[in-house]
Amino acid sequence: MGPGVALMGMGRLTAGLAVLALLAACGSEKVEVNPIGTMVGTVAKATIAKAKAKRSGATAQAAAPVTREAIEAYAMPILRVTIPTRGADALVTITDQKGDIVTWSTTDGTTFTFRSGILIQTRGLGADLMSADAPSLTQLMQDGGTHQRVYFFLGADDATTRRTYDCAVKVVGPEMIEVFQKQHRTTRVAEVCARQGGTITNEFWIEGKTVRKSKQLTSGAIGFIETEQVVD
Amino acid sequence: MTKSLNLNGATGLIDLPSGEAQDDARFSFSTALVGPISRATISFQITERLSASFRFQTWRDWNTLFPAESEDFDARGFDIRYQVLKESQYLPSLTIGLIDFAGEGLFSSEYIAATKGFGDRLKVTAGLGWGRLGTDGSIGQPFGSRPPVDPAVSGKLNSDQWFRGDAAPFAGIEYKINDTWTFKAEYSSDAYLLEDETRGLIERDSPFNFGLEYQRNPNFRFGAYSLYGSEVALAFHVILDPKTRATGGVMGAAPVPVKARPSRASDPDAYDGGWVSQPDAGPLLRKNLAKRLAVDGIRIEDLAYTATTVQIRIRSGRLDAASQAIGRTARALSHVMPASVEVFEIVPVVNGIGASKVTIRRSDLEQLEFAADNASLLRQRVTIADAGPWPSPSVGDDDLYPKFRWSLKPTFRLTEPLKGEAGLRLSASYDIQPGLVLSGSIYGRAFGNIDRSGNPSTSVLQPVRSDRSRYNKFGDPALESLTLAWYARPAEDVYSRVTFGYLERMHAGVSGEVLWKPVDSRLALGAEVNYTKQRDTDGGLGFDEYDYDVVTGHVSAYYDFGNGFVGQLDVGKYLAGDVGATVSLDRIFVNGWRIGAFATVTDASDEDYGNGGFDKGVRFSIPLNWAMGNQTRNSIGATLRQSNGDSGARVDVDGRIYDSIRDYHTDALDPEWGRVWR
Repeated sequence: MGPGVALMGMGRLTAGLAVLALLAACGSEKVEVNPIGTMVGTVAKATIAKAKAKRSGATAQAAAPVTREAIEAYAMPILRVTIPTRGADALVTITDQKGDIVTWSTTDGTTFTFRSGILIQTRGLGADLMSADAPSLTQLMQDGGTHQRVYFFLGADDATTRRTYDCAVKVVGPEMIEVFQKQHRTTRVAEVCARQGGTITNEFWIEGKTVRKSKQLTSGAIGFIETEQVVD
Repeated sequence: MTKSLNLNGATGLIDLPSGEAQDDARFSFSTALVGPISRATISFQITERLSASFRFQTWRDWNTLFPAESEDFDARGFDIRYQVLKESQYLPSLTIGLIDFAGEGLFSSEYIAATKGFGDRLKVTAGLGWGRLGTDGSIGQPFGSRPPVDPAVSGKLNSDQWFRGDAAPFAGIEYKINDTWTFKAEYSSDAYLLEDETRGLIERDSPFNFGLEYQRNPNFRFGAYSLYGSEVALAFHVILDPKTRATGGVMGAAPVPVKARPSRASDPDAYDGGWVSQPDAGPLLRKNLAKRLAVDGIRIEDLAYTATTVQIRIRSGRLDAASQAIGRTARALSHVMPASVEVFEIVPVVNGIGASKVTIRRSDLEQLEFAADNASLLRQRVTIADAGPWPSPSVGDDDLYPKFRWSLKPTFRLTEPLKGEAGLRLSASYDIQPGLVLSGSIYGRAFGNIDRSGNPSTSVLQPVRSDRSRYNKFGDPALESLTLAWYARPAEDVYSRVTFGYLERMHAGVSGEVLWKPVDSRLALGAEVNYTKQRDTDGGLGFDEYDYDVVTGHVSAYYDFGNGFVGQLDVGKYLAGDVGATVSLDRIFVNGWRIGAFATVTDASDEDYGNGGFDKGVRFSIPLNWAMGNQTRNSIGATLRQSNGDSGARVDVDGRIYDSIRDYHTDALDPEWGRVWR
C-alpha cells in the first residue's frame, strides 16, 4: 500500500476505536478553538488524534475483542469499509452530509461518499472514483428494472476515464445478516452491469431505507469495496 | 507475449530488431555487455508506431591491436523506426528502421523486419538488413552500391547510404517457456567486421545466437546469451510506462468537502454584503484561508474582494497538478468567504506574476460537487483567462508566506547514459517584492564518474562548453548561480524576464526575455537577448581565465500540437558566436513526465562540431511523485547529447518563461482537469 493510504488493518481495529474516541474528544474541544472546524475528522485533527492514540498505548489493547457495545458507546454513525485488493479494513465516521449524500472518512483522510448508501465518490485511494451516475435506492428495489450506470475514474495517467454499463436489477429475496453481532432482516439485491469489457455485479443488503451491507465497484484498479453500516 | 527488447535496447530478438513495437509511450533504459562492448540505450515509443533510441557504446581494449593509438573510443547514435503494419490474423507486424542514422556511419544499418506470432508461445521474425546488418550472407544490392560516409558530412543524416549496398537476410524465433522465461535464437546478418577483422576484439565464429530471458515484473527484464559462437552477452532492461503511475493513481488525502451555503430564502442575512466595510475582514479572511491552504502546501500571495467577488493569488508548492491546487483553493474559499461572495477568481502565481485566472462560480461548485462527470461539467462553466492586473485595493501578503526560502538537496546529474555524478546543492532565494527575486546556489560533488580530467579543450571554437571537464575538476564546490531576476507582465498575454548576475556555472551576465502567450493559444512567440562573459573554471566570481564576452539571442516559436506534443523552434546566435536554429519536440504527459529530442544546426563549420556533426540530443524528466505517489513537484531527468562540442550552445538561465507558465494555460490544464475535484 502506498503512503497516504493508511486504512486500518482489522488487527488494529481496537486502536481505530481508540482513535475514534479521541477524535470525538478532539472534535468538541476544537469547536471552541476553531469556529470553522465544526466537522469531525478533518485531516489534520485526525492525524493528531492518531498520534495521541499511539502515544497512549492504544496498540497494546489491540488484542481485546471488538464488541458492538464498545462501538455504540461512541454514539455516532459508524460504517465499516473493507477493500479486499488493498487488504484494508476500517471503521469510518461521517465528515460531511448534504441531504442524502453522506461522506465518510478514515482518520488519515480517505473518504467514501454515498448517495442513500450507493457509492458515488472516493478520494485518497489513488485510482479514485471521481464521480458516478448511479441508480437511486428506489431503482435498486425494483426487480427487473434496468438503468445505465456511468463511472468516472481518475485513471493511472491522471486523465478521467469513463465506463458506461447497462445494468439490470435482480431482487434476490429476504436474507438475515449479522453485522457486528447484530442480526438484520434485509432484502438482498444484485445489480448486474454489463459493457463490452465485461460484467460486474454490485450487491446490496437493504433494510428499510438503509443499505445495511454492500459490495460495490470503486474503480478498475481498486476493484470492489465492501461496506457494513454498523451504527446508524 | 511480451514485446521484448534486444541488446541494443530496441524492440527485437538478441542482437537483431523485430517487426514489433512497444506499447505507446513506453520508455526504457537498457544496458548490455557484449564481450568487450558496453551498450547503454534509452528508447522511447513516441507514438503507437514511431519509436526512437539513443545509444552510447564503449569498448574495452579498443586499442589492443593498435598500441600507438591512445584515444578511447565511444560512439553515440540515434535509431528511429516505424511500424508500417500491425500484426493481424494473417499478416505479420512489419517495421522499417534506421540504426545510427545520423552518426559517423560505423554502425549505420537499415532494415525491414516482420514478426508473426503462432499461438501464445511462439514468435518468428524474418528481415532484411543493409549496412552493418547486410555484412554477412548478402543476397546482392537491390538498391545499388553503398557509398562510403563522407567524413565531411559525418554526423549528419547519412541518407546517401540508406538501403544501399549489400542486403542480407536475418531471422529468429522467440519461444515463451513459461510466464517468466523466454528462449530466443537468431541467425544474424551482422559480420561484426569492425570488432572482429579490424580491431580483433570479438571472434565471430558463427552467425547463430542463443539466449534466455527472465522477466517477473513489468519493469525489469534480464537476459543472458551466447553470441556468435564465442562471446557471452548480458542484458538488463528497465521498462517504464509514463502513462501509468506506479501507485495506480495520485495519492494524498481527500479534500475538505465544499461548504454549502444556507439558501437565500432561509437565511437572507447571510447574504448581506455589509461585512466588506469591516476593517479587519481582510486580514481575518486571509488568515483563515492561509490555515486551510497550508494543508496542501498552497501559499497566498494576495487577496482582494468585493461583496460578491474574491480574487486570490496562490503559489502552489507541493501539488503536481495545477488543477488540483485550483480545486483545493476553491473548496477553501467555500468555507471561508461570506455567503455573499459568488465569484471565485483564482490566479496561480509563478515567479511573482499571474500565469492565468480561473474563474469559478461558487454555486457551480456547490451544485456539481457530487454530480456525475463533475469535472467536464465544471470545466464548461469555468473561464480561464489572462491573469490581468494585480488587484487593487488588496489585502497584501503580510509576510504570511516565507520570503526567504532555502534548501539543501542531494542532486544527481547524468551526462551520458553510463556517466553521472551525485552531489549536494545548497540553494536559497529571497523575494524582494512579487516578481523580484534574488537567488543563488552552490554545488558540491560527492561522487561520480563524469569527466574530471581537467584537460583543456581542443575545440576550434571558443570553449563555451567543451572545457566542462575543467569546470568539473576545478569548480568543486562551485557557485553555480547568483542572480537577481525580475519577472513582469508588461501587457495582456505578454510576460517578461530580466536576469542579471552569475546565470550558470560557465557564463555570467544579463539575460532578457519577452513571451507572448495567450492563455488559450496553442502558439507562443518569444525573444531572448543575452550579454554574457565566460566565467573562470574555479566556480568563483572571476572572469580572468577567458577573455570572452558575447551577445546571444533567439526568437522562438512554441506550438502545442495537442496530445501532449509541444514543438519549439529557436533561431538566433549561440554562445560560440555561431548562428543557426534549434528544433525540438517534447511529449509532455499529464502526470508530468516529459521526453523530448532536439537538433541544432548552425553555421559553425563541420570541423568545429567535433564528432557530432550537428548538436542533437534527447532529454527526459521523470516526476518523483509518479514513482512514489507522494506530493512533491521534484523530478529527476537529464539531457544527453550526441556531441559535446561548442556549437549550438545556449546560456542555461533559470526561469525561462514558457515552461514556467504553460502548466497554468488551457493546453496543460485541460488534460488534467479531472484533478480539480481530487
